[in-house]
Amino acid sequence: MSEAVKKDQPKVSVPTVTFSLDGQSVTVPKGTTVLQAAKDVGIHIPTFCWHPQLKSVGACRMCYVEVEKMPKLMVSCMLDAMDGMVVQTDSDQVRQGRKAVLEFILLNHPLDCPTCDKGGECDLQNLTFKHGVDDNRFDFKKARFKEESMTTTFDDKKIGPEIVLNRNRCILCYKCVRANKEAFGEYDLGAFERGNITQIDAVPGGEVCNPFSGNLVEICPVGALTNSDWRYKIRVWLTKTTPSLCNFNSSGSNIDFYKEDHQNKIFRVTSRTNDSIDDGWISDITRYGYQVINSADRLQKPLIKKDGKQVEVSWDEAINFIAKKYNDIKESVGRVCIGGLISPSLDNRSLYSFSKMIRTVCKSNNIDFRGDYRMLPNNPDSPFGVLRSQPFSIAEIDDSDVIVSFGSDLIHEHPNEYLRIRKAFNYTQPKIYSMMPYSVKSADVANIEYVYTPGTDETAINAICLAGIEENVVDASMATEYIKHVVPSTLKDASALCGLDEAELKILARSIAEGKKITFLVGEIVTRSKARDIITAALLNMNKLFGLSSKGQISILARYANSKGAEKLGILPDPIAPIKEALKNDFEEYPESEPRNTDGMMAHIRKEEIKGLFIVGSNPMMLYPDKEFIKESLDKLDFLVVCDLFETETTEAADVVLPLAGWAEYDGDYVNLEGVCQSAKQAVKPAGESKAAYEIVRLIAEKLEHKTFDVESIDKGVEACLAIDTTIKLPNEFLDIKAESEDVTGEFSHPIFIIDDAHHCGHLTEKAPSLNNFTAEAYLMMSEELAAKNNMQENDPVRVESEVSKLILPVKISESLDSDVLLIPRNFQSSPVTSLCMRKRRIDRVKISKVDE
Amino acid sequence: MHYSPVITNADIAAKDENLHLFQYVEDSKQCEIDTFVSRGGYKAWKKVLEGISREDLINTVKASGLRGRGGAGFPTGLKWSFVPKDSPKARYMVCNADESEPGTCKDRVLMERDPHAIIEGMAIGAYAIGCHLMFIYIRGEFDHCIDKMEAAMEEAYAKGHLGKNVYGSGYDLDMIVHTGGGAYICGEETALLNSIEGERGQSRMRPPFPAIEGLYASPTIVNNVESLAAVPHIINRGAEWYASIGTEKSKGSKLFSLSGHVNRPGNFEVPLGFNLKDMIYNPDYGGGMLGDVPLKGVIPGGASTPFLLPDMIDVALDYESLQEKDSMLGSGAIIVFNENTCIVWILKKLIHFFRHESCGKCTPCREGTAWLEQMINRIEAGQGEAGDLEKMEEVCGNILGRTICPLGDAAVMPIQSALRLYRDEWQYHIDHKKCMVKSNFEFK
Amino acid sequence: MILTEDSIAKIKAKAVRYPRKKSAILPAWTVAYRQIGHVDEAIYKEISKVIGVPMVEIAEAATFYTMFPKKPRGKYLLQVCNNISCALRGSDSMITHLENKLDIKLGETTDDNQFSLIAVECLGACATAPMVQVNMEYHENLDATKLDKLIDDLKAKKD
Ligand SMILES: Cc1cc2nc3c(=O)[nH]c(=O)nc-3n(C[C@H](O)[C@H](O)[C@H](O)COP(=O)(O)O)c2cc1C
Ligand code: SF4
Ligand code: FES
Repeated sequence: MSEAVKKDQPKVSVPTVTFSLDGQSVTVPKGTTVLQAAKDVGIHIPTFCWHPQLKSVGACRMCYVEVEKMPKLMVSCMLDAMDGMVVQTDSDQVRQGRKAVLEFILLNHPLDCPTCDKGGECDLQNLTFKHGVDDNRFDFKKARFKEESMTTTFDDKKIGPEIVLNRNRCILCYKCVRANKEAFGEYDLGAFERGNITQIDAVPGGEVCNPFSGNLVEICPVGALTNSDWRYKIRVWLTKTTPSLCNFNSSGSNIDFYKEDHQNKIFRVTSRTNDSIDDGWISDITRYGYQVINSADRLQKPLIKKDGKQVEVSWDEAINFIAKKYNDIKESVGRVCIGGLISPSLDNRSLYSFSKMIRTVCKSNNIDFRGDYRMLPNNPDSPFGVLRSQPFSIAEIDDSDVIVSFGSDLIHEHPNEYLRIRKAFNYTQPKIYSMMPYSVKSADVANIEYVYTPGTDETAINAICLAGIEENVVDASMATEYIKHVVPSTLKDASALCGLDEAELKILARSIAEGKKITFLVGEIVTRSKARDIITAALLNMNKLFGLSSKGQISILARYANSKGAEKLGILPDPIAPIKEALKNDFEEYPESEPRNTDGMMAHIRKEEIKGLFIVGSNPMMLYPDKEFIKESLDKLDFLVVCDLFETETTEAADVVLPLAGWAEYDGDYVNLEGVCQSAKQAVKPAGESKAAYEIVRLIAEKLEHKTFDVESIDKGVEACLAIDTTIKLPNEFLDIKAESEDVTGEFSHPIFIIDDAHHCGHLTEKAPSLNNFTAEAYLMMSEELAAKNNMQENDPVRVESEVSKLILPVKISESLDSDVLLIPRNFQSSPVTSLCMRKRRIDRVKISKVDE
Repeated sequence: MHYSPVITNADIAAKDENLHLFQYVEDSKQCEIDTFVSRGGYKAWKKVLEGISREDLINTVKASGLRGRGGAGFPTGLKWSFVPKDSPKARYMVCNADESEPGTCKDRVLMERDPHAIIEGMAIGAYAIGCHLMFIYIRGEFDHCIDKMEAAMEEAYAKGHLGKNVYGSGYDLDMIVHTGGGAYICGEETALLNSIEGERGQSRMRPPFPAIEGLYASPTIVNNVESLAAVPHIINRGAEWYASIGTEKSKGSKLFSLSGHVNRPGNFEVPLGFNLKDMIYNPDYGGGMLGDVPLKGVIPGGASTPFLLPDMIDVALDYESLQEKDSMLGSGAIIVFNENTCIVWILKKLIHFFRHESCGKCTPCREGTAWLEQMINRIEAGQGEAGDLEKMEEVCGNILGRTICPLGDAAVMPIQSALRLYRDEWQYHIDHKKCMVKSNFEFK
Repeated sequence: MILTEDSIAKIKAKAVRYPRKKSAILPAWTVAYRQIGHVDEAIYKEISKVIGVPMVEIAEAATFYTMFPKKPRGKYLLQVCNNISCALRGSDSMITHLENKLDIKLGETTDDNQFSLIAVECLGACATAPMVQVNMEYHENLDATKLDKLIDDLKAKKD
């Protein structure tokens, strides 16, 4: 077991050992390495190949210690502390040993520190300095890779969209290859040849482009792996770091921004290791996403539509204009009738201010943060709301003995949690199961991957319950009761309907029944489904039947940086009672009007019952799965205000566009999917005249003579809400579930699922050049068999047609897919896949044809 | 099928009732299962399955004094006893037939000529540790041995010596012939296990030892071909018989591969304790120095063992006696060279080999062997400099005992020994920028 | 596919015997090598498909081992052991002999693509030195006459 795993789990009574470390008596849990024990008491032992999250291999030999009664120097990274051991970490022999290792490493090292981007943060440089290898006894020509190179030291080989390898600098610690396989489960990097000509390289004919590839650069102890986006830009000692958070995932990866005093831009991002959240690994989106902030395309000034054209104006003019429009609507209709849609990636202050404005200034409950989900439930304690509110802890994954992921393409939706599960897979080896309507890469850690027929989600869950009943692993009287509520009600029928194997379902049922600590996480397939309430009802039944949440956790995971915060702060049309209570306490007046979610607002806009809309950071035109519906709705509006970082299809429709500051440009707090509130600090000044959303809201509200939008008042409101436990009680009764069936019309037969690309999230990341270097355009992903059947090859342009629209997309063949399902990323403005979708569809279906036909 | 033309002392072995490994190796029928069985083959395996307990079996092998013939000389029975009795994991028996230590060519003869003896020994070893799937790892170049072993395995399955419910005992035993791809390091047991797993053949740190966590992270025993081939005889004839052969601490008989400048290079089975000088000069064995050119030195146990000077060769070939001479019995590969041989040239060959075969995982071995090779090549080419020898000694010291597996030690021990025993010659090379002797051996 | 159906069947038959599929990497090359005479990227890809192991693992392991040529070579691969026991018996000059006879240098292939000549490490024929392995076959106890005959026979062989 790695130190990392142990460290995170304070065990009740673990056996300990006591030994002497540099004369100091140290007691540690049995199985702790000498290296870790030394770290714990603040004794530094140098290392190259050791990494807290990887299995030790003892390759570099830098971490020598001397142990009494052991004739040889021992490598401390692989030496378990034992009772009575007497260890010296800094004896003459140890120093001699380390010096010898450094000498060996430096024999063929180019020593090109002045031109190396690792300079200043290079382990080799630092240790050489410390251990003083002062003379060079190696009087041969240094071995060089790439003899044909112009100079002797440069061997710059691009091995991935963002990674450059210099094999001459590589000290063969193998950390990159080990991390890639072990921690990320990726197979695009390897070590080739052997002995002194061993070299790291990308897979033959391929490149290193996995969603975690940036970490490889970060853990390289030397400048062998460097990031294209950081190379030759600045020396690290000229930069300062600002602690921040990832704005693209819901666990809130901890990161540092690097900036320099004289330039208002961010130079790079590295992990700010927080083992309880991210184990020090960050996804490429987290790493390169900062470029969104630096983008030259950022909106600089407010815009107002004049004669059909948006022109730049001052903030004053824009705010005055908004106030005027507000009053116009109020006067003409007799009431305010304005709604608001906000992005769940914004900070607490912004979300809360916005909700306060909508409810107190606009006096309405037309508010939602879920602009990219169709047909959402309105009432807060719908089954979906209940399961969504259940608590979830990342660290609990570590000691779960059964882990089930349902309806989640984990790597894309929850990269940190995927890596966490992988860690468990490597160390504690729980039983892992994955259930999806199509096969996914993240199932590589699963004991069994269940791929059910698209659109039969609730039946797939019922089938688990029915399998449990057939296996007699659930309470018999509960089983009798349960059966009354479900159709179909036999395992045979259910498994036939959802296309799963009965025997395999029984294995899963047994594991859930017998597991001691279960993590059951539910993902976007459920959240995005129009049938989300039925599916979650099935999950709630299952939870009750197996008594699951009494011995673990089951939750629908929040997806965006502050989705959880948005829920807790009541950015919903109808927040749960305690939150509503808090809001009533804080607001001068809580509106009585009917609560309306995204769909409800759009419907009422069409009926001309809502005249104006504020959109902040959301881009429903691109992301809501029925583009036509949104477009028609927005066109009906009298007045649309959109705040965003960039011009989007949604801003194009706006009467007023306000430039929004990005998360790196102001201090903000965010609640991650565990409900943990974390802070991101301002790293740079806002681009142009852009402002934080809460600032904008305050300007508007104050213009309309509402006073309590100052930071102190807002923070007080936020605090009050966050203090409330928002978990909704699970239902006592089984819920009725009748499997929904949808007709598949002959022509449009291929189900499509809208996904996030491995290197993109939402609509912003398209503005990060590095991420575009991985994927720059949408594609149509299909299985090898389907491609072969249709005679399609990688990159062939294909017409994708639904009943409402069509797109032409290049083919991308997936090795992991194995059914007729098609996947399309939603991240690219030029290919709005949401145009293919219809609001009322449970599963969108298309037909495909080769363009040249 | 290819049949090695190597000289053996099968005629002597056939007459000496203490010698058992080479008894039938000159009889081409010995490969066939019927012949093998008619000569008492698989009797020990049957006897074991008919009711010897694991403990008794392990104790018998312990009592016999059998020590590993792969190089390290570790007591075989003791090694078997390290496998945890109560582990729920599968266990594996792996026969090491990688035979890559320069000078060694003995296991090959057993595989070519007495394959069933190996299978029988493996089976007994497998039973001793509770293994149901055993492997033999044969170096890939030994194509003919691979075919021979596979054919023998098929025969053994067909006749019910392997497979499900062997001899109706309820014991299942399967076997896989796994082949290497050209890497000396894969003879090292942990690298060998990686190689079977399909990993790069790099060695692993110990602990955990293979007996606790080996192949597929399960308890595993790795034994040399020759060690296992001796086991059936121990079962048939008893530990006492086996222990009566050899010396007090080095029991049994051992195969020696004799190569280099002797008249009769070959493979010879002798009791441990046999005199080295005899081995070289006795007409039944080495038959004296080739062309009567006087002896300059001997590598007694394979390329990684320290040298013996001519005045040191009146020594018993057993683990302890060679240790007393600061050398090792190793794999029993005796390499003899005459006075026309340049010691620097020998080391150049050897260090080239070790550099080429270093797996590249740990720093001292990977970098150190390459550095040493450059230094030795330079001296050999007449460009050595004052201080080179001292520097080499220091570099050797920074490798010895500092590496993951013993390949690092193997690479430097002959260098250290050569620097010590043949110092003048190295110095001559450096001082005179040329060789003391002419050592390019003509091929005629 | 470069691998024949027969080879694929052989690989699969071997692969199923192992507890883990990665173990089939070496057996798969052995089969591929016997069929094709070398292994390269295209073969890695095919093997990766056949045994279901990522291509990079195949390539990493393949390049670790030196026995399989990584690119096409002559019809007869002459592998002269040049380690200590063979060297004491004249393998250095045997290489020179072959270089002269075939008019190529070590590491090269004859123009007619018949012979490639390389030096290799100890092949376990130390007591029958010197030796050469031609493709998979051992030829031991060589002297000039035997070696010349061996080469001449190979040259004369038509198939
Ligand atoms: C570099 C190296 C190469 C080795 N090569 C071989 C070999 O080719 N054959 C062998 O049996 N043992 C070899 N060994 C020894 C094995 O690691 C292991 O000790 C042996 O197979 C155990 O079997 P035994 O106890 O029967 O001797 C080698 C060891 C090292 C360090
Ligand atoms: S590239 Fe860097 S991380 Fe990878 S092996 Fe080389 S030094 Fe280590
Ligand atoms: S850190 Fe221990 S050997 Fe590299």
